[in-house]
Amino acid sequence: MIDIRISSCNKNYGSLRVLKDINLEIERGEFIVLLGPSGCGKSTLLHIVAGLDRLSSGAIEIGGRDVTDVEPKDRDIAMVFQSYALYPTMSVRSNMEFGLRMRGKPMAEIRPLVEEKARMLHIDHLLDRRPSQLSGGQRQRVAIGRALVRDPKVFLFDEPLSNLDAKLRASMRTEIKKLHQSLGTTAIYVTHDQLEAMTLATRMVVMKAGEIQQVGKPEEVYHRPVNLFVADFLGNPGMNFMKGHLRLDGNRVSADVGAATIPLDGYAFDEKPTDGQAVVVGLRPESVQPATGGEPFSLTLKPTLIEHTGSDNLVVLAMGSEEIVGKFPSDMLPKLGEPVTVGFDLSRLSVFDATTERRI
Amino acid sequence: MRRFLQRHVSQVALSPSLALIAIFLYGFIAYTAAVSTTNSKAFPRFDNFVGLEQYWRLFHTPRWHVAFTNMFLFGGLFLLVTISLGLLIAILIDQRIRAESFFRSIVMYPMAMSFVVTGIIWQWLLNPTLGIEVMVHQLGFESFRLDWLTNPNTVIWALVVAAFWQGCGLVMALFLAGLRGIDEDIWKAAAVDGIPAWRVYVFIVIPMLAPVFLTVVVLLSLSIVRAFDLVVALTNGGPGVSSDLPSVFMFDMAFRRTNLGLSAASAVVMLGTVLAILIPYLYVETRERA
Repeated sequence: MIDIRISSCNKNYGSLRVLKDINLEIERGEFIVLLGPSGCGKSTLLHIVAGLDRLSSGAIEIGGRDVTDVEPKDRDIAMVFQSYALYPTMSVRSNMEFGLRMRGKPMAEIRPLVEEKARMLHIDHLLDRRPSQLSGGQRQRVAIGRALVRDPKVFLFDEPLSNLDAKLRASMRTEIKKLHQSLGTTAIYVTHDQLEAMTLATRMVVMKAGEIQQVGKPEEVYHRPVNLFVADFLGNPGMNFMKGHLRLDGNRVSADVGAATIPLDGYAFDEKPTDGQAVVVGLRPESVQPATGGEPFSLTLKPTLIEHTGSDNLVVLAMGSEEIVGKFPSDMLPKLGEPVTVGFDLSRLSVFDATTERRI
Repeated sequence: MRRFLQRHVSQVALSPSLALIAIFLYGFIAYTAAVSTTNSKAFPRFDNFVGLEQYWRLFHTPRWHVAFTNMFLFGGLFLLVTISLGLLIAILIDQRIRAESFFRSIVMYPMAMSFVVTGIIWQWLLNPTLGIEVMVHQLGFESFRLDWLTNPNTVIWALVVAAFWQGCGLVMALFLAGLRGIDEDIWKAAAVDGIPAWRVYVFIVIPMLAPVFLTVVVLLSLSIVRAFDLVVALTNGGPGVSSDLPSVFMFDMAFRRTNLGLSAASAVVMLGTVLAILIPYLYVETRERA
């Protein structure tokens, strides 16, 4: 069942086109993450769904109802902001109650509801404090609590964890995930943090310059990026790119990337490859591993730099005039300058056309 | 000597101005306090110590009572009118209106004028024989009366209106700055929560402006105690002494009635009033910083 439908949505600020013909359908219960670099229009799209921004053309439906011209308060949504946006002059309890009180819900119903949600978020002991007396993580819990008590049809999150430190961010991420699993409410979540996107999303939407680049399950977007931008944006360290040309030899296709020729026999082409086509071959660092002998394709390369991350060793390998990065297990520590044999996991390859930058 | 200068360069650089302040500000405050305990007439004389007699006389002078009460009456009304209308105008300008800077300039403009000019402008406007009253009469409303300046019971309103006209710009600017400083996400959260704008103002935004209120009250209070030129230009204390303020009283006693001792006593009482306003403010300010 479609919960949110965004049809041909455009947003212009003067001559600046912030959103270009966005189409997106969101099923009930999905956790959609909008991901992209700053200025890609992801926050604007969220604001348009919330009704805080008017769209220039197009339509928004929530729960089968056209809400294009409906006020935010009547859209049955709740929103969590990056700056928390708590009402600083009110106690935590009042912050959570205020929206419901404005809707004319009787206090006898509001009280137990607020207390229940506060317990759920472990903020029940903070109910009588002011927001200024809380830590960042606690404030964000209150902001989430304020959204929860409203029991909306859709949750909207606008970079809710960006103001928290790394450790807190990770634990809040897990909690939001658990919350979504137990509530099952449709959610749209904006972030520029790919880790948040990968872990939270049931489907993610990668955006760039006001356009949707790819929509799909996180692993699908990660392993089968539709273009160079998505491939490059996701993953840390980033995907290795090797420039080269396709060679067609009867039924066999291979990519000549200068320092090596990579066989593409098992590669599922989206488009028909042509001989001599300029391509970029992409392979994620974790698909470049020390060879064990059984690989269909391996190369012997010289390590030029090794970075220890604790869990892995990132090994920079010279490959002709270019360099590629391999993510080795932490117990595999090659010596600098001593060639090692690495195996390429060819099932994880991505091949892009060099001019259109699209996956082929 | 060189080492001393090197080590204390900032103190040395500041010392001339500190000395000047010590002499001309605190020195003369002390001097005034000393004069208030003497029987000085046209010139200060210290050979005739009378203790607190001048204060006793001050509080038994009916004219001082009028002036002192007027200060609170004028002050209270002025604070109320200026803060409420200043805030209202700031809120209206904050609605992302077109030609915002034009309206802002209009409201701010009177601030650029001297109180003497303000006083004279309003004296003409409120003059029953050539101001607003005549204008309304010419429009056909013959029974209209605007006799604030000539009626001892309402003359204080003339002061309030003129002072408001002058002070509103500053108050509006301070409130507008406060309103602009409020996180926009708060407004968005309120919109999603379905809170009507006026309620956001009353329950959330205006309470958030508490520090601005404090600043505004202190600034206006000090201008109330200091108010002198406006009264002199607009009413000159009249009719009779009905629009006297302490500063006018003080000036009159010192330079027209040649009663320096009494004048000094009234100045000290005014200083006390200012301190009564300032000390709680400074206390709150420093406590917040700490």
